[in-house]
Amino acid sequence: MAMESELVGASLRRPVTLRYPFERRPVPPRFRGRLSWDAEKCVGCGMCVQVCPAFALELVGKGPMAELRYYLNKCVFCSQCVESCPRDALTMTEEYELADYKHKIYEFRRK
Amino acid sequence: MSGESEKAVFEVPVGPQHPALKEPILLLFKIEGDIIDDVMARPAYTHRGIEKATEARNYIQNIYLCERVCGICSGIHTLVYTQGVERLAGVEPPPRAKYIRVIFLELERIHSHALWLGVAAHELGFDTLFYYVWRDRELVMDLLELVTGNRVNYAMSTVGGARRDISDEAAHQIKKGMEIFRRRLDVYTGVVEKDPTVRKRVVDVGKLSPHKAVELCAVGPTLRATGVKRDVRADDPYQAYDEIPFNVATYPTGDVLAQIMVRVMEMYEAANIIDYALDHMPKGPIRTKVPWNIAPNEVISRGEAPRGELFYYFKSNGTEKPERVKIRTPTLANLPAVCEMLKGYHIAEIPIVFASIDPCLSCTGRFAFIDERHDRSWVWTGEQLRAYRRRYYKWQNR
Amino acid sequence: MMREALGVVELLVFPGFLFLSWLALYFEWVDRKFYAKLQYRYGPLYTGPKGFLQPFADFVKLLAKEDIVPAAVDRFLFTLTPILMLALAFYALFYVPIVPMVRNVAFGAFEGDLILVIFVLTMVGFLKFLAGWGSTNRFSAVGAVRTAFQLLGYEIPLAVVLLTAGMGAGTLNISLIAQKVASNGILASALLPALAISIVCFQAELERIPFDIPEAEQEIVAGWLTEFSGRRLALFRFATDLELTLAAALTAALFLGGPYGPAIPLIPVQVSYFLWFMFKTTVIVMVLANIRALFARLRIDQMVHFSWRHLLIAAVAEAIFIQVLLAAGVIA
Repeated sequence: MAMESELVGASLRRPVTLRYPFERRPVPPRFRGRLSWDAEKCVGCGMCVQVCPAFALELVGKGPMAELRYYLNKCVFCSQCVESCPRDALTMTEEYELADYKHKIYEFRRK
Repeated sequence: MSGESEKAVFEVPVGPQHPALKEPILLLFKIEGDIIDDVMARPAYTHRGIEKATEARNYIQNIYLCERVCGICSGIHTLVYTQGVERLAGVEPPPRAKYIRVIFLELERIHSHALWLGVAAHELGFDTLFYYVWRDRELVMDLLELVTGNRVNYAMSTVGGARRDISDEAAHQIKKGMEIFRRRLDVYTGVVEKDPTVRKRVVDVGKLSPHKAVELCAVGPTLRATGVKRDVRADDPYQAYDEIPFNVATYPTGDVLAQIMVRVMEMYEAANIIDYALDHMPKGPIRTKVPWNIAPNEVISRGEAPRGELFYYFKSNGTEKPERVKIRTPTLANLPAVCEMLKGYHIAEIPIVFASIDPCLSCTGRFAFIDERHDRSWVWTGEQLRAYRRRYYKWQNR
Repeated sequence: MMREALGVVELLVFPGFLFLSWLALYFEWVDRKFYAKLQYRYGPLYTGPKGFLQPFADFVKLLAKEDIVPAAVDRFLFTLTPILMLALAFYALFYVPIVPMVRNVAFGAFEGDLILVIFVLTMVGFLKFLAGWGSTNRFSAVGAVRTAFQLLGYEIPLAVVLLTAGMGAGTLNISLIAQKVASNGILASALLPALAISIVCFQAELERIPFDIPEAEQEIVAGWLTEFSGRRLALFRFATDLELTLAAALTAALFLGGPYGPAIPLIPVQVSYFLWFMFKTTVIVMVLANIRALFARLRIDQMVHFSWRHLLIAAVAEAIFIQVLLAAGVIA
């Protein structure tokens, strides 16, 4: 019986359910979404590959012109690579709808 | 009609798949009529090999691996891990980092307890309370999202400090959120204390005596619900807990009502701790540089997770990877206690009594064999495990 | 000739099978929608306007699903119970005044049909027990036993309060009781406690929180329904909706006057029957949904205890109260 006043309140207010595909919440400021890579800044040091806990990053090639392969299906979105990158070449975007039928592998290329 | 000589005892298995248990565990009940006579628990259906996996990763990678031991108390897992590695490396986090850690840990405690309160209401068949509590839990989740960026895996604590700062604006919002949450909590406390159907289901159900609880090494709210004042935050203060005044919530009765009330009181305490910590947070850096040459050593690290004492053991061997990381989650420590709590109650009380320890079973998978009849126990090595895997797949593909 | 044709229409279309089916799905929608609203949810949303067609969509979907018959079940009971339950629920509804346009009373009305409807209500509970028992599943068996226990709890107080209405009106014809209650304000207000008791009993009959013990999801999966799937489950669900309709219509008829009520100006009396009926039953379904949202589930022994300790005594007290009023001549 103790909830009756609450129920009356509920029947007068709007539901709180988010009608997801039609309504979206704003992404919080520090959100960690899909990784993006800035070819201009990267020097190919491989720090990101060393610290990645999920082995989601791989260097293709060697030296300063090395490119990055990013396994989205392995990534745990911890942003340790962003933190460890000495040149700030990596950032986390605000993309979060990443589910897919196949394993997504991003080949980050230098143009 | 000799009722004493012929006890109609039959076995009822609950789990590993059962709607009352969200995670896999087998509870084998010996039932006499409608009363539980004996119970045997068999966890470890989800052995994930995390302890072994830590040996293949370096100390930084392991932060995020340990974060994923538990989905609900991910914050305390990173904290206890990083605290242990800090002890190995001999660094001390800056004071502001300690306060930031305390704030997000207490936010996590609130969200975990609110989640539990909702689940407990659901196990009682009180779905309305479940929806209401979870609706207001979103408030805390939003604050956690604001501070840390994500809802579940916060990735907030790192070796040598905290990864993100709490701005004044965020601090203001957290305080406002705590004010609203306290008012909502008053409502739910009233519901639990006054609603006749809830009271009928939780008062004098699943009783555990303080003596028995200590004997069975219960931890956390399960132990505090029997009136025993034991809390790692108070007994062995870590981070900034020695500078923050707070009460250890206890409730004397030891039944399911006590479990609910202890957790509710802890939510109030946590809100107070957050307010205090925000007010008294020192200025300064949030990280220190960590010298990554870790000498061979052994340390332990522990903290008070929402479910009880969380314990980590580390052994380093001078390389960048740990030699051994041992994790003891609170649910494992509470399993013997819950088996004791279930005895003597009705079948209908299995869900709520079992849920009352806030079981988090997937954190609990450990690999050890115990043979009761021959009284011996052993552990498989990696080689034996691989041999078993070969045999198993051969058997599967026969 | 005209009369017979009207009778066929009354049986098959309005307020017969077709209308009753629509009514059952409508009540399920009201129940789900209001229950969701009380919990800050939307409930059914996308099928039809405001999710109005969701119960129908669920029914059709279940009909199309695979119907599994486990090897160990009693095939006879397993097939019979869903059909019989649906048939019985429909059958009882023809004795309750829904929208009595043709003869001003329910389709099958006769003196003593209240007894018949009470019997059918008991039979429905008994069929649930048989369905669970015939499934030979551990959970079904426990659910079946709990159903039977619960039946022992709510059935007698329910019968007592339903007959109290008959006592007050001096007849056992549901339609005549409804007419009398609608025209006699003193009787209607004297029956208000009986209304409350009957709503509690119907909550138990319909196995809804706090009396959803035989279907307690967290304890015994789906109770007596565990093994049913596909068409059989669809029939059971539909029968449950009809049972909800029966409960709402019967409570409305016996204690609130059912379709009969003060004439609404400018509207033909048949339409006013429809409006009064829909208003009263919808309110009752909403009250039932509110009770569902308000409580935690009781334990079976607590439920039986509650029924015998409180419900039965209240029901008997109400019957005595009505008798005293009759003897004193307050109710004409």
